[in-house]
Amino acid sequence: MPPERSALRVQPFLDSGAQARLRGWLDGYRPLAGVPDELVRPDGTTPEAWLRFLGALAAFPSGEFEDRFALATRHIRDSGVSHRIYGDDTERTWPLSPLPLILGEDEWARIAAGVEQRATLLEAVLNDVYGEGKLVAEGRLPAAAVTGSADFVRALRGVPPSGGRHMHLYAADLGRGPDGRWWVLDDRAQAPSGAGYALENRMVLSRAFPNLFNAMNVQRLAPFFSDFRAGLAASAHRSDPRICLLTPGPFSETYFEQAHLARYLGLLLVEGDDLVVRDGQAYIRTIAGLKRADVIWRRVDADFIDPLEMNSASQLGVPGLFEAIRAGGVVVSNMPGSGLIESRALLGFLPALSNHLLGEPLKLPNVATWWCGQPAERRIVEQQINSLAIARAFTGPGHPALARGPRMMSDLTPAEQADLRAAMNLRPLDFVGQEVVRLSTTPAWRDGALQPSPFVLRVYAAATPDGWKIMPGGFCRVSDQRDARAISMGEGAQATDVWVLSDQPVESISLLAHRDNVKVRRIMGHLPSRAADNLFWLGRYLERAEATLRLVRSLSTSLMDSDAALHASGETLCRLQALLIDWGAIDKEAGSRKVTEAACSALHDEAAYGSVVSLIRSARRTASSMRERLSEDFWKLLLNLESRLRNRQNDVLTEAESLARAEAALQTLATLSGLTQENMNRVAGWRFLDMGRRIERGVNTCRIVRQLAGPDATLDDLDLLLDLVDSQITYRSRYLEGIALTPVRDLTILDPFNPRSVAFQVETLKTHLAALPTLQDDGMPEEPSRQLIRLASLVETEDAAALGVPEILTFEQMLMTLSNAVSDRYFLQGSNATPTKKQGGLA
Amino acid sequence: MIYELRHLTTYHYGKPVSFARCSLRLAPRLGPDQSVTDSELTITPTPARQESHIGPFGEVVLTATIETPHRELKILARSRVNVHRPLLPRPLNGPAWDAVRDQAFATTRLDVGSPAHFLYPTPMTALQPAITAYAAASFPPGRPVLEAAFDLTCRIRADFAYDPKSTEVSTPAIQAFEARRGVCQDFAHIMISGLRGLGLPAAYVSGYLRTIPAPGKARLEGADATHAWVNLWCGEALGWVGFDPTNGLVVAGDHIILAVGRDYADVAPIGGVVLGPGGQTIDVAVDVIPLEEQALRIG
Repeated sequence: MPPERSALRVQPFLDSGAQARLRGWLDGYRPLAGVPDELVRPDGTTPEAWLRFLGALAAFPSGEFEDRFALATRHIRDSGVSHRIYGDDTERTWPLSPLPLILGEDEWARIAAGVEQRATLLEAVLNDVYGEGKLVAEGRLPAAAVTGSADFVRALRGVPPSGGRHMHLYAADLGRGPDGRWWVLDDRAQAPSGAGYALENRMVLSRAFPNLFNAMNVQRLAPFFSDFRAGLAASAHRSDPRICLLTPGPFSETYFEQAHLARYLGLLLVEGDDLVVRDGQAYIRTIAGLKRADVIWRRVDADFIDPLEMNSASQLGVPGLFEAIRAGGVVVSNMPGSGLIESRALLGFLPALSNHLLGEPLKLPNVATWWCGQPAERRIVEQQINSLAIARAFTGPGHPALARGPRMMSDLTPAEQADLRAAMNLRPLDFVGQEVVRLSTTPAWRDGALQPSPFVLRVYAAATPDGWKIMPGGFCRVSDQRDARAISMGEGAQATDVWVLSDQPVESISLLAHRDNVKVRRIMGHLPSRAADNLFWLGRYLERAEATLRLVRSLSTSLMDSDAALHASGETLCRLQALLIDWGAIDKEAGSRKVTEAACSALHDEAAYGSVVSLIRSARRTASSMRERLSEDFWKLLLNLESRLRNRQNDVLTEAESLARAEAALQTLATLSGLTQENMNRVAGWRFLDMGRRIERGVNTCRIVRQLAGPDATLDDLDLLLDLVDSQITYRSRYLEGIALTPVRDLTILDPFNPRSVAFQVETLKTHLAALPTLQDDGMPEEPSRQLIRLASLVETEDAAALGVPEILTFEQMLMTLSNAVSDRYFLQGSNATPTKKQGGLA
Repeated sequence: MIYELRHLTTYHYGKPVSFARCSLRLAPRLGPDQSVTDSELTITPTPARQESHIGPFGEVVLTATIETPHRELKILARSRVNVHRPLLPRPLNGPAWDAVRDQAFATTRLDVGSPAHFLYPTPMTALQPAITAYAAASFPPGRPVLEAAFDLTCRIRADFAYDPKSTEVSTPAIQAFEARRGVCQDFAHIMISGLRGLGLPAAYVSGYLRTIPAPGKARLEGADATHAWVNLWCGEALGWVGFDPTNGLVVAGDHIILAVGRDYADVAPIGGVVLGPGGQTIDVAVDVIPLEEQALRIG
């Protein structure tokens, strides 16, 4: 009979209901035979930390902890924490387990020491392979075990690593073996991912169980990230360096994580196009011209990072970046080529290399591995072929049977076995044999019960001037399968937080820098051209969506109004529908159908590029590539709006329903606009967002006025126009005589006091352009300003009585030209690729 | 044999290009059996900045940045090369190919000539069971490596049709293999893929081949072309030996090496030229002039 696993002894304060719940969970928990488990020790006892944690969960009334967790999870979903599967357009939500992996201080100290030693060892190996090459020359590492890696970057051999080291961030995937010891399963050095998810997991769990989190002395993650950032900064030549995170872009599987880290660490999130190399240095294209990039933390694989010297088909990289590295003009981290040490072929050599390079054995063993490129090792693998796992020796495509990770021969079909044996015979150097590691289990919450689940723990090490720092925690994945030899995020795994407990109460620390070290600044550097571009278009999409919603609202109201005879006169309705057709909200066919259907299409038809749902989707896509610049509230509202508008095109709406939907969507847009007005710093980014909005509003107003306030406009037309441009009240309070053509045109186009008029947009645009940086210091206006000044003088001097449709069309066209001029001047394809011109001389 | 080489590449753009960055691998490679006495590169318009470094396989790489607006980019490489590669003694034999393979796996060299660099597949020379099987027919266990490789060289020449229209510069080996046609680049890729499939270290060589004008005819200016063939590492004693599957030859004095890499992508003479917004056309003119011939012409 196993020793009693009594929770009651250590949790005397639990009430009887809680005790019953806890007992139920523990009694229902059945560890797998012969597999170590975090919750149940081999002697049958449960660690005290787990009892405290589960006891606290049990202390919540039945179901409440799940509710709390569900709430926190919903928070994640709403803020769009998700990881994207390649090729998917919609982001997939990312599963998080409510139960953390709990590790005690002593055990953690051993793990941390092992990971630190391994990081030191691997850095030394990289240093040698890319430097002196003694390990190969002395026969300690076969040359062919090095050259098989696609990440052996020959172009950087003999080049001192930029920033003095190859790795600033290293991660090890650990598993706990049958004997309870920790093993290294894999090394991650190319661009280790998951640290941002660890941070996010922590946010969710500490939100769901705040008291518990503090009471258990869980060690904080923030100091680690602060150290990591300091390490990157210290590698640069300048004292206040500009640090970028180079992302493959929003289609990357871990883009969210990258955006999140960039925001958390205060790095500039850039794509390859944002950077340019000139004279051996890297620059960021900003709206103020080229600005030095001192450190590039890359999440782009080495093969794609410089199309001139690596994969020439790459669109993700920066041409000439290697030249800049060789010239010492930029720190790229991890140094391209670090991914070399991810090869399994190297694993078998590390125990000996540790003794040789560090003079001590590995503190954390790695999985016993035999590289078949050597005759003796090949024989060992052949002799034990049925008891070993066979794996690819190097990352890359490899044999199809092994594409998804190491396999046992017995798990393959006879045909696959024969094929694999033949391939191993022809090219043994592509394969390794590995001891099979069975992973230990940790409890996961599934179907209302605790269930043992195999897990892999990723631990991170950051290089700092004071040596390696290990993140007290990590990114843990638990499998939903009972027998896990390989775990992929893509296949039903959950992520969990990792709690490293401290014996002492933990001080509350966040990423607050020491007061004396912080230089006060009010502007966060220069706005990158890409961000300016995206913000501008986000502004335009949102404004266009708003205008379309106003049209839909008017369309629906016209049918419901008791005064229908007045409002819904055939001609006015036709003009309204013509406007919707004109900007692509509905197609011609829908325009000829019933009005209710037209309203429904304009809201929900995903095939029409100008429908509200399409515009909001475009806005969301644009926003998704600059998540680090938008507040969480903004993003949540936008996602929420899109999901409310989607998949509704088949509903047949009554006019009341379309009205209600349009009203609700307009309210959300108003909130979004309020958020940007109230919460966004009045720096360049906000100006571009607002400029997009202003240009779009000006253009839309011109169009609506041309359509509804032409020479033959009816009273109905003008009435509707005032509705659409939200100027009904202003007009009526100002002109008691009733609606007339000239005052309506004046109010909507020329009146600089009406925030909906074209004149007001032009005035606002002038302020924005004047506040933006210029490329030249010769005092001459740049092209956008030149055009805007011309437009403003026309608008300001126009006489209301003389204002006709041709003049309004001219304003509209000039606004469109201005939009192009803004894009030519400030955005990526524009002239900002040239360095800032200095005239020199004294003023 | 001393050669005078002239390799002119001209890009014509539909619209002016204001910025171009390119990397050029156009300086013939020095080697034990080839010396370069003179080599120069002229780019028009003149680059704002030039930098040169030694590339991963020992080649001189010149990177140039051009900031002058231009509609035509001319890259002229001229050099004088002395090729003194001896003929291999016949009959062709050498060590057993399987022994060569084990030597390559065990090499402790990582210099540019090390066989270790040339053992693994690349995107253009991916391992393909069909190509490996094709190559394996020439490599029964224990066969002397030179004999086996020459047999494969001759089989490729016999089995494949020379057809410049069938493939492009980016065509991977398997596509030309299945079509049974292609140009020198494709034949080299096929042979390399096959040899590496067997575990042998094989390299892609780009260069020039001396053409002999028809009797009584003068050599046509600019009519020569770049060529490609295969280097196979044949063990520590023999080192690298060239095989030309396009012509069914063992490489000797008529082949001038420009660069050596794992596949075409490693040695592409010109990389990274910006595509012009208005489309572009490229002209390449190559002259390979044996020096005694030039002396005759001058005389």
